[in-house]
Amino acid sequence: MNTMIWLIRREFWENRAIWWMPAGIGMLLVLIALFGQVHLDADDIAQIHAAKSLHGSYLAAKMFLLLSSPFLVVMGAYASWYLLDCLYADRRDRSVLFWKSLPISDTATVLSKLAMGLIVIPLVYFAFALLTTLLLAFILSMRLTILLDAGIWSARNWLDFQMVWLYIVATLALWFLPVAAWVMLVSAWARRAVLLWTTLPLLAVMLLEHYFLSTDWFMREIWLRISYGYLVAAFSVDNATFFSPASGLRQELNPLGFVTEPQTLIGIAVGAALLIATVQLRLRRTES
Amino acid sequence: MPALIEARDLTKKYGSHLALDHANFNVEAGRIVGLIGPNGAGKTTVLRAILGLSSYAGHLRVLGRDPIAERRLLMQDACFIADVAVLPAWLRVDQAIDFVAGVHPKFRRERASQLLEKTQVKPRHRMRELSKGMKTQVHLALTMAIDARLFVLDEPTLGLDLLARRSFYDALVNDYMDETRTILITTHQVEEVENLLTDVLFIDKGRIVLDCSIDAIAERYAAVAVAADRLDVARAARPFFERQTLGKRVLYFEGADPGTLETFGEVLTPSVSDLFVAKLTGAAA
Repeated sequence: MNTMIWLIRREFWENRAIWWMPAGIGMLLVLIALFGQVHLDADDIAQIHAAKSLHGSYLAAKMFLLLSSPFLVVMGAYASWYLLDCLYADRRDRSVLFWKSLPISDTATVLSKLAMGLIVIPLVYFAFALLTTLLLAFILSMRLTILLDAGIWSARNWLDFQMVWLYIVATLALWFLPVAAWVMLVSAWARRAVLLWTTLPLLAVMLLEHYFLSTDWFMREIWLRISYGYLVAAFSVDNATFFSPASGLRQELNPLGFVTEPQTLIGIAVGAALLIATVQLRLRRTES
Repeated sequence: MPALIEARDLTKKYGSHLALDHANFNVEAGRIVGLIGPNGAGKTTVLRAILGLSSYAGHLRVLGRDPIAERRLLMQDACFIADVAVLPAWLRVDQAIDFVAGVHPKFRRERASQLLEKTQVKPRHRMRELSKGMKTQVHLALTMAIDARLFVLDEPTLGLDLLARRSFYDALVNDYMDETRTILITTHQVEEVENLLTDVLFIDKGRIVLDCSIDAIAERYAAVAVAADRLDVARAARPFFERQTLGKRVLYFEGADPGTLETFGEVLTPSVSDLFVAKLTGAAA
């Protein structure tokens, strides 16, 4: 356990962008909220008033979600890049020879990097998003009150929203486990062109299936996994109702459905198998 | 007591290239062993196998352990410096010490700090800011602060200037070596280490061509500066190598009777580097 903490700390030393990227997004959003020009004509104001009276505090909740979406997008991109690089970078600069000279098992190393990509990095972004939405709600409420005679702050919704974030972190980690494990496998295996190797074998399988079996099962599965599949599995909404009125965000979470969804369970099994393979590769491959 | 390192039929293939060809050797405790061979002879491959860094065929036990399956436990009692450039550029000196202290049960932090105080290196320095020589000092300080039984060095002074090399080996011998420790060192610079070693392993084309203690070299090998008139007789006694220096013919013998050799001319004990040249050139001829 102690070793695990040191391994995680080590990742923070190496990847200082874990801090400054979400901090940068937060600062940018705060600056925009502080100094951005608000162009609202009479029509807009009427619409906002109508929406507010119709949906109540739901507007605030959706605003939190909207404002934190830059965090989610950058987090996804950064965590993917991190996982892609994590078992390749130290082979490239040969520092793997230093890390391997210490009494740390390859299983611990692989698990620490997986935990970084799937849990720790999302939690850091969560913390920054939490802080930023709080500041933004305050700033926007102050500025909009002048225009609209009403704030859009809602404490209950803000707290709800934090729960939604934590739910997203937990479910994202489980849903994307097979994707992360696949990327790490490539990261532990490839001697160069890591990004290319994450996609080429998958494309090859898709083409072979299409050509020889005239089916597209694999392609659909992959597409589902990396696109809307997560939303379908983790939330009881679809695209059509996502922006429709409801009393709060919490009702849209579907934890029970998510953990019993076969797609989730199959994903975890595939992820575990890929992780075992990754550890085996890490045991034997030190050259890049 | 079993050998510290035991290798039987150690073999490693890279594609169709045999990097290690059924190598057999033992390393006993308390020795300083030089694994010596030309570039591409298989030195690094042997070390990689010993340290659990790459797969191999054959039997190999290091400190009684399987290096791949038990690498984590092995690394509590063994340490290595692979090469001067392997400390990552982003790592700070104090972070390196903190990390090793955090994960290594046998690391003595004060010892590492003491060793570093003698150098120009500051705790806040990042590796990318340090010269090659300074990086080696950091790595050596980190490694020498570990109470390990086996210390493996792979071309440790590659790319260092003469002063840095000298201070590297001085630190190794004066501050580190005692009878409880064993050092295995690879190099192709034989002259640099020959006064240090207690044993030599010569490796060529993936095979161990000589496995001998320095003391036994004098008993087993002789270089004879043969007088011109005795050359035919001496050659008949089957030297394994012959060379010409300063107008003299020097013939190298293995396991020959000293009495007989004296009749050929002046008998000398060959230096490790001479023996290395003789063995490897002789084998090729």
